[in-house]
Parts: sequence; C-alpha cells; structure tokens
Amino acid sequence: MRSFGSLTQHFAGIALVSVLAACSGGGNGAGTGKTIKIGVDMPVSGADASIGVTTQNGAVLAIEQAEKKGLPGGFHLQADTLDDAVQGVHSPQQGASNTRTFISDDAVLGMIGPFNSNVAKAEIPLTNEAGLVQISPSNTNDGLTKGPDAASLRRSNPAVNSYFRVCTIDSRQGAAGAQFARKLNFSKAYILDDDETYGLGLANVFESDFKKFGGTVLGHDHITKNQQDFKALLTKVAATHPDVVFFGGTTSNGGGLIRKQMFDAGMNNVAFMGGDGISDPEFLTVAGTTADGSYYTVAAPDAEKLPSAQQFVKEYQARWNGPVGPYSASAYAGAQVLIAAIVKAIKQSGNKMPTRAEVLRGVAATNGLATPIGTIGFDKDGDSTSPVLSLWTIRNGKANFVSQLNLKF
Amino acid sequence: MHDLLQQLVNGLSLGAIYALIALGYTMVYGIIELINFAHGDVYTLGTFFSLSILGLLGVSNQLHGGVLVVDVAITVLGAMILCGLVGVLIERLAYRRLRNAPRLAPLITAIGVSFILQNVMQLWRGPSPVSFPQVIPNPGWVIGGIEIQAKQLMVILFAIVMMVALQVFIYNTKLGKAMRATAQDRDAAQLMGININTTIALTFLIGSALAGAAGFVSGVYYQSTWFFNGFNAGLKAFTAAVLGGIGNLAGAMLGGFCIGIVEALTNLKIFPNGNQWSNVVVFSVLVLVLIFRPSGLLGESLPEKV
Repeated sequence: MRSFGSLTQHFAGIALVSVLAACSGGGNGAGTGKTIKIGVDMPVSGADASIGVTTQNGAVLAIEQAEKKGLPGGFHLQADTLDDAVQGVHSPQQGASNTRTFISDDAVLGMIGPFNSNVAKAEIPLTNEAGLVQISPSNTNDGLTKGPDAASLRRSNPAVNSYFRVCTIDSRQGAAGAQFARKLNFSKAYILDDDETYGLGLANVFESDFKKFGGTVLGHDHITKNQQDFKALLTKVAATHPDVVFFGGTTSNGGGLIRKQMFDAGMNNVAFMGGDGISDPEFLTVAGTTADGSYYTVAAPDAEKLPSAQQFVKEYQARWNGPVGPYSASAYAGAQVLIAAIVKAIKQSGNKMPTRAEVLRGVAATNGLATPIGTIGFDKDGDSTSPVLSLWTIRNGKANFVSQLNLKF
Repeated sequence: MHDLLQQLVNGLSLGAIYALIALGYTMVYGIIELINFAHGDVYTLGTFFSLSILGLLGVSNQLHGGVLVVDVAITVLGAMILCGLVGVLIERLAYRRLRNAPRLAPLITAIGVSFILQNVMQLWRGPSPVSFPQVIPNPGWVIGGIEIQAKQLMVILFAIVMMVALQVFIYNTKLGKAMRATAQDRDAAQLMGININTTIALTFLIGSALAGAAGFVSGVYYQSTWFFNGFNAGLKAFTAAVLGGIGNLAGAMLGGFCIGIVEALTNLKIFPNGNQWSNVVVFSVLVLVLIFRPSGLLGESLPEKV
C-alpha cells in the first residue's frame, strides 16, 4: 500500500513536471518560435474521403503557396491536418478531439474545417472558449451561426464569434433546391433525411419551400444510423407515387444506397435529389448506374467554370494530379482569408508572433478579399455576404453543371 | 391490406438474412455459452470473400444457365469454406484457452476479435462501401398486387434450406449427437470418449460457414457492403437469437423472421415516421417477450440446446 502511494506520488510529480515543461516550452515558442500552424480538420478516410480529401487539398494548397511566397517577419506557415472520420464516417467526437489538439498547440493560430455540420456543432463551443478562429468551407446548417442554436454554441464566450464560413446556409440551399425541383416540373415530392444536424435541417427547409413554390409534399421520413435495408421504407414511398425523392443527408449515411434501392422498389423513373451531401464522387460509386437521374445543389460555385478560379484550378491540378472537388476552391478561399488575417496581424504586431485574438479580429474584419470563389466578407454572425450556389445533375455516370445562383446580401 | 402484405414480404426477406446470421450465433452459444460478437464480422468477411472469388472467376455481370449455377456454387462453397476456416482459427487462437475462464473473459475477447476483423477488412477493402455485382438474374413477379423479386425468394428459401439441413445434421448424425452431448455436459461427454476440442471446432466451422453463406446472399441482395456492415447486422441477428431462445435453431430462424417483419411493418402508413423508430420497436418487442418468456419464444420447448 505504501509503495503504491509513493508510486502515485511519483507519477503525479512526473506529470506536473511535464505539464510545466510543456507550458514553458509553449511560452518560449510564442516568443521566439517562427512556425505558425493552421489546423485543417476534414473527414479524409472512409465513405466521406472522396469529398473530404479534395477539400483538405484545397486548404493545404493555399497554405503551401503562402509559405512559398514567404510570410513577413521570417515566419513559416505549416498545415496541421487531422482526420475526423471514425470507422469510415465523420464523427463529432473525433472532430472535438482534433479541435482540442489544435487548441493545445500554441503554434496553431486558426483552423479550417470541419466539413460536416454536426461535427461543427461539437467544435464551435471549444474554439469559442479558446478564442481560436475557425473557418469552414462547407458547413451549411443555419443553426451554426443564427438564432438560439448558435447562441447556445457560443455560451462560454457569448461576446466572441470564432466561427466563420465561406459557403451559404441551408435555408438558401434548400430554397434553391426547391426552386430547382419546381423548374424541373416536379410537383410531388417525398422527403427523407439522415436525422443529422445537416440532413434534417436541409430537408425541413426543402419541405417548406417546396410547398411555398406550389409543390405537394407526400411525406417526410427519417432513416436510422447504419441502416442498410431501405426496401420497406421505399415501398412506402413508392406507394405515394412521387415525382422526386428528396434526400437531406450525406452519401456516407445512406444517400447512395437509397438511390440504388429505389430501383428495387420499382421507382426506376422517379428522380432523386439532394443537397451537397450527395455531391461527392462516392455517390457515383455507391449508386453506380442508378446514379443517373439524380440532382443536387452545392453551396459553392463550379470552380472549373468560374473565370476567377481558372488560376486556382490549374495550380490545384498541378499540385494534386486530380480533378478539383466540389469544395476545394472554398477550402482554398477559407485558408486565404485566414492567411491574410495572420499576415496582417504579424505586420501590426511589429513582426512578432501574433495572438489568436488578433487573428480572429482580422478574420472578422475581412471585407472584399478576392478569392477563386469571388470576393469574401462576413456578416456579424460569421456568414459569407456573397455566397454562391450551383445546381448539378448526373448524366451517364458523370456530374454535369446545370446553373449557378449568385446571392448578395 | 395491400401495403401490409407487401411489407410482410419485405420483412420476410430482411428477416431471412438476420436468421442466417442468427443460426451461427445460437449454435456457438448452445455449445459453449459464448456470445461470439465476432460472428457479424465473419458474415461481412463472407461477402468480401465472395467478391474476391467472383473476381477470380472473372464474373462482373449477370450470369445465365449452367455458368450461373456453377459459378454461384463455387462462390458460395468457397466463401463458406474460407469463413469456416476463419471461425476455426478464431476459436483456436482466441477462445480455446479461455474455455474455463470466467465468462466475462471470452466475452470481452469476442468483442476484441470483432474489432480486429473490422480493421483487417478496412485495411483489405478500404473503408468505403464496395459494390457487389448483380450475378443472379432478378425478375419480379406480381401476385395479387404484391411484388416479389427473385432475390427476395432466394434469400428466404436459402435460409429455410440451411436451417433444415442444420437441424437434420444435429439430430440425425453422429457428429451432431457429439455436439448435443458436449452442449449438455462437456465433462461427461469427454468421459464418454467424445473429442471436445474437435467438436467445438466443428461447431465454429459450421456456424462460420453459415455466416459465409449469409455474406454471399447479402452481397447479392444489397449489391454493396462495407467493413462495418457486420456490426449492425450482427446486433440484430443476436437479438433474433435471443428473441427466439438462444441455443435453439428453430428459435433463431423464428426470431430472425420476427425482427425482419417488425422492422418492415414500422414502415406502414399508419405509423408516422415509423422508419426512424424501427430499432426502438424491435428492441421493445425483445424486452416484452423476455419479460413474459425469459428464455425466448422457443427457449423452453426443447431441453437439449445445441
């Protein structure tokens, strides 16, 4: 018993010493360290990888280019990339743990990510408390920035908003989807969602806007986590004879399987529609030949078609040897915003290591910054003031751009 | 009424897959009272093995006639043999030494084996869903307004044939008798000259081979799988085994069909938002059954457990 007691004391002592060492190390780093890190948190393994990796690549490219160009004061810039997918699917718990890793590293002055709205919900309270600026290329859920939901995410530090996004929100994405559906002459819709922050929110907006534009909603059901068999559910859907099945959710939560099994339930001629959750190449893989006849919206422009993004597309393809993903340009733009704020903060502090608060203030003050997806500025909630939406369809197993909506606020 | 019948058909085919997995759970539990949590992952492994064998045979599309029969037979047998061997290996490496340990030890080990298998599959086939070719022609028939697809019939028939074959094996062969004896009293069986190790290994071989067959069937049925698939299916199948009376073969079958049907029926129009509640309903049924019949639906009707 005695020896056990002394052993724990030893451990406590060692732990204390190492904590002190870590603190002093960090303190020195802030004074003399010349490396600034940007945390990048995306789902880069599993079913979300096909879209997560291209998004991460966009952010990393911007960071590498800034490093090559050189920062004032001789600082070096580095990307610290972490994966928030666990067992193949984006995980809020893992996202929160990654965020804690970034927060505990004094060299991290801001982060890009996450990709998914429910992950953001777990991360925002942490970055809010730590005052670490966070820019997401793709979170579209309204509640992350607006209303009582956002207020509760910022409860530990209500005066400070640490979260920004360069994409549009679901109340606009859902509205665009509903308009798109009506333009395609779909008048009866059946709505499904994956019961997550993003999917449920998008499906609800689509439902109310589809009705507003004169469409009929035949029903609205939620799928369960890890569900594989949708036959029974889709039998019920088929019996109502919809023109289109709208799915609010991600491919990793069943988007592709639902499309595939619609054919088993006899809905070969019924269209399938979703938001950016099914904009990943994985959807084409899972749904296979049945992917044709699907439509979706993306809360970002088609970078390949945008004149302002041509330079970015070329550089991206040269660096990563692959096509640009739906959110690559947005992640690049988000990283540009963050880098601009860091550069400004270094200059203002006289070439000293800037604090997280200075970088945060810089990001919040962003106005008219030119990026591949257009000029970027934020409102007081952290939402982009000039978001863009694009509409897509799948023909012959390939995603085809249909049109683009520019929104100004 | 039409909806009800259609959902019953859907539920039967879903339940048949649960039943096939549940048979393996119940066999292993019957003989060594171990809940083999790795069983669901052996089932997923069966789908991946089938996929590899089909790849070796060069099959990527629908087959017809003689080629269909031969290729499907090779694939199913191959998947069964490979999964059976994996099962034997798991028993030999992970469970045998713990046979006389406190019951919690092999249980935790089983969970560990499940994680190992999942991660091996993730390394082997990647973490994304993998598609499975539609090898079997899938015509549909409409009988009195109810649509039945060939693959639904196939799954149901396959499950019933497997259960009957197993029942015959256990009650009408010498090896089956040895298994029953081991289940009843391991020490006494050993004294009677039964090789316990061989008998238990045989149980794992058969149980895992069934999971392999179920893996093939589910591949054909869903045309896709991923490394984590076995977790959910295994959980439902385990529930099916408990519902039917764990250790009882006919019970596993009945439990599987019950759960499949309950799950499908939650999608009837009279239950708004039923799909979201399907798991709640399934497990509520389980709880209710266990309150009134603690040993499951068929648990007490047969004194001998296998």
